[in-house]
Amino acid sequence: MTPQDAHPISSRGSGAEQIPTRMPTANRPQNAGKTVNGDTSRLESVAKVTGAAKYGRDMQAPGMVWVRGIRCPWGNARLIGHDADAAKAVPGVVDVVVTGDTGEYNGDAVGYLLAENKLALSRGLRALRARWERLPCRTGIDAREAVLSVSDKAENALLFADHVLEAEYSTPVQTHSALETHGMMIDHQGDAAVVYASTQGTFAVADEIASFLSLPRNKFEVRCEHVGGGFGAKFQIGKEGAFAGNVASSLKRPVYSFCDRKEEHLDTGNRPSALVKVRVGFSKDGTVLGGQIGVWGGVGVATRGGDAAIPSGRYEFGVIERSMTNVSFNGGAPRAMRAPGHPQGAFAEELMLDEIATIAGVDPLELRIRLDKDETKARQAMYRLGAEMIGWKDRQPTGSQSGVVRRGFGVGSTSWRALRGPCDIEIAVHRDGSAELRTGTQDIGTGQRTACAVLAAERLSIPLELVSVAIGSSRLPNGPASGGSVTSPSSAPAVLAAAADAERQLMEIVAQQIGGAGTDYRLRNGKIVRGEEAVMGWNELCRRLPSESLVGRGTWDGRGSPYFQKGNSNGVQFVEVEVDSETGVVQVKRVIAFQACGRIICRKTAESQIIGGVIQGISYALFEDKLLDRQTGAMVNPNLEWYRILGANDMPTIEPVLWMDAEQTGVRGLGEPPVVPTAGAVAAAVFNAVGTPVRSLPIRPDRVLAAVEAAAVAGVAKGGAS
Amino acid sequence: MTPSQHDPVPPRTHGSDAVPGTPADRSAVGPRGVSRRSFISTLGASGAAAALGGQAEARLAAPIEDGPVVLGPEPVEVALTINGRAVKTKLDPATTLLDALRLNLQMTGSKEVCDRGSCGGCSVLVDGRLVASCMMLALDAVGHDITTIEGLAQGDTLDPIQEAFVRYDAFQCGFCTPGMIMACKALLNETPKPTMEQIRKGLSGNICRCGAYTNVFSAVLEASDQAVPVDQPVPADHTDGGGA
Repeated sequence: MTPQDAHPISSRGSGAEQIPTRMPTANRPQNAGKTVNGDTSRLESVAKVTGAAKYGRDMQAPGMVWVRGIRCPWGNARLIGHDADAAKAVPGVVDVVVTGDTGEYNGDAVGYLLAENKLALSRGLRALRARWERLPCRTGIDAREAVLSVSDKAENALLFADHVLEAEYSTPVQTHSALETHGMMIDHQGDAAVVYASTQGTFAVADEIASFLSLPRNKFEVRCEHVGGGFGAKFQIGKEGAFAGNVASSLKRPVYSFCDRKEEHLDTGNRPSALVKVRVGFSKDGTVLGGQIGVWGGVGVATRGGDAAIPSGRYEFGVIERSMTNVSFNGGAPRAMRAPGHPQGAFAEELMLDEIATIAGVDPLELRIRLDKDETKARQAMYRLGAEMIGWKDRQPTGSQSGVVRRGFGVGSTSWRALRGPCDIEIAVHRDGSAELRTGTQDIGTGQRTACAVLAAERLSIPLELVSVAIGSSRLPNGPASGGSVTSPSSAPAVLAAAADAERQLMEIVAQQIGGAGTDYRLRNGKIVRGEEAVMGWNELCRRLPSESLVGRGTWDGRGSPYFQKGNSNGVQFVEVEVDSETGVVQVKRVIAFQACGRIICRKTAESQIIGGVIQGISYALFEDKLLDRQTGAMVNPNLEWYRILGANDMPTIEPVLWMDAEQTGVRGLGEPPVVPTAGAVAAAVFNAVGTPVRSLPIRPDRVLAAVEAAAVAGVAKGGAS
Repeated sequence: MTPSQHDPVPPRTHGSDAVPGTPADRSAVGPRGVSRRSFISTLGASGAAAALGGQAEARLAAPIEDGPVVLGPEPVEVALTINGRAVKTKLDPATTLLDALRLNLQMTGSKEVCDRGSCGGCSVLVDGRLVASCMMLALDAVGHDITTIEGLAQGDTLDPIQEAFVRYDAFQCGFCTPGMIMACKALLNETPKPTMEQIRKGLSGNICRCGAYTNVFSAVLEASDQAVPVDQPVPADHTDGGGA
């Protein structure tokens, strides 16, 4: 950690930051004492804005050898020839290792090439002239093969229905597209190594890479001080890590193995595609009585992991029979992606609800209020407030608009169960009065480092400036991988325990020095107090430590803690869109995102998680699509211009509302919940504007124009009949 | 501002759809959009000096006034001006400015993200204007003033835009941040008080995957001494928690 990390103090303000809030705190839902910290900036802010922050990809070592996979260019192909000698003749190429001859998807690796530098890597791969014979391939879910089965239970439910909706919803393969690609630099020094990984699971990488390095665990360290995004794809070392491990252990040299952007799209995981078929019955007022829901998940060459969370359980749907089928094809395997299975399920569920409401002639918001099963009633309040804030009363009935630019409103809901994992924390208090919190877990941009420091400073009752955080190393105390929104709820109780342990030891020292028992004293506002009487300052106490430092340890095994509480993180999002009926372009204008979040440790980073989740949801709704060519199985957009990701020009106004329930004292992670409902709410809003649903993501202009056309035809037909 | 014939780096084009670093305007990412291949042939041809501009000619490592020369495959020595300092390094003539910065000079603030000019992660300023350094050869940068993210702060004093990024939490993972800040800097150099529309256009060549745009916009407004918009208040009956 650099000294800059520890003091993210603005150079313009003096000391603590002034007025940097994006919105006045007075306007936000508040619970006195529940927000641990309002306006702290990330501890690593200065390192990140000056370019000083070193990510795995920034690491280099003298004598480093570069590695890149030899990858199949087609969906299914056999390697029938290559010229290893020509490749090795390229200056700088070290070796060519071919380990297989079949590629089952575009990006599948059959070996790797080693070179002394980056340019030799690409020149060597060109000289290798790998020749492939294409074989027949399958590039996705074939809707014709997805047949919704009929069950008696579901059919019985339909018997009493006034209407039956039969519909088919589909979502594309979405790639995580973290800006820092997957990979690692292994600084191998013969009998020891440091593995600089881009990962969201420090200890998972240590476990996996150990078998490649042939080094005992005490001879290598996995480090990831800064990580350029993960979103669920960076729990494992992947092929690029396996190559690096092999090369490092055989050559005993430093190795640099990072995917390029194309490999990142092809072979580092994705959110699987989904096809959802529904046949649901409902009564005149929109009450859903039940029916059949079938999910087909497109899992590439994997055989599982394709489920979509529908029904979500948030709405009362009566008697639902459900089936789920994983469909394999010639594509990269999925990995967990931010609330795995949920955005695709919520897309189908929310759009289906709006279709039901429209057929029944009821307001889709009223229908949700009626069907919502949230026992805490938080979402009920969110529905009402959100409607007021976004101007739901201005919403036109679905299909009633005929202008060029049509406005639509949509709403969707979310929930995420509080999850946790084991976590150990150490807090070292030094003689100079500074404290260092140590945790092996990683900060992939979530604000984990900052949250830990804020909590420790609060519990020790000392200024935040005194606390630094050592994070992202397998030599530090064990912590969770960043997945399932577990990192914050797992760490917070352990931080409290470690701080309490440090305080206990410190107070015993006080007692030895000035008499009494350790329990007579406690820390308050940078002082040691007995009752209301200050007996010693923090710095004085630290100077009297018997050794250089004192270490408080905290382990949390999941038992009672004020900072962990079961229950759901509920949320509701409202979306307003504008649809140009002549170009088919959809612009999201405004999103209001209510998110129950437990106890907020750091408001800025919490809001950033929500805003980021919403943006990824809109990007999923409107743009992202990993397209495989049906004939060759090759990805046609393996870059960042044709694999489109939401940019500054596409941005709506996003208003996160941190919802702090009076009863909820636990700390919650906000990685997953805000990304769940957005795409569904956008689809519902587009339906409201256009009058015919676009049932496939992404909601591309051609699909919108087709919907506009269909709505016009239906309108004419209706007009003709009446 | 219009690009002159000898202007090696076309200016940004706010207000049009052509945005540096995006497919819509590939010509803006390097001097006249030179590809690596065409650069080598141009260099060998007569008139290369004019194509590169007089300044470049004077400072180019290899003397080109003597007629066509072959550069490479051996490394050539180049002198670059980075953040006001003259630096020398030896590199393969096919090396991009980005790789020269990251690999030869260990200035890793500029990031390689897409390696084809479509994401803005490698943005630097060349003579004050925004360039995707992955799309410019290091040799083309000879004779020009290059500013990287490492050169914005003056000692411990952050540039106002860096400071505003910190205050508004305008990043999460931080990997797009160096490029995003350079894009903001270029925008503010050209448009000291940009409108929201100009901010959107000016930053549309930079991708942030975590989704920090909202706070980036606020940071640009703050750094240009403009009022930062505030969300509408949550209705008053909800100011004390969610137990409504």
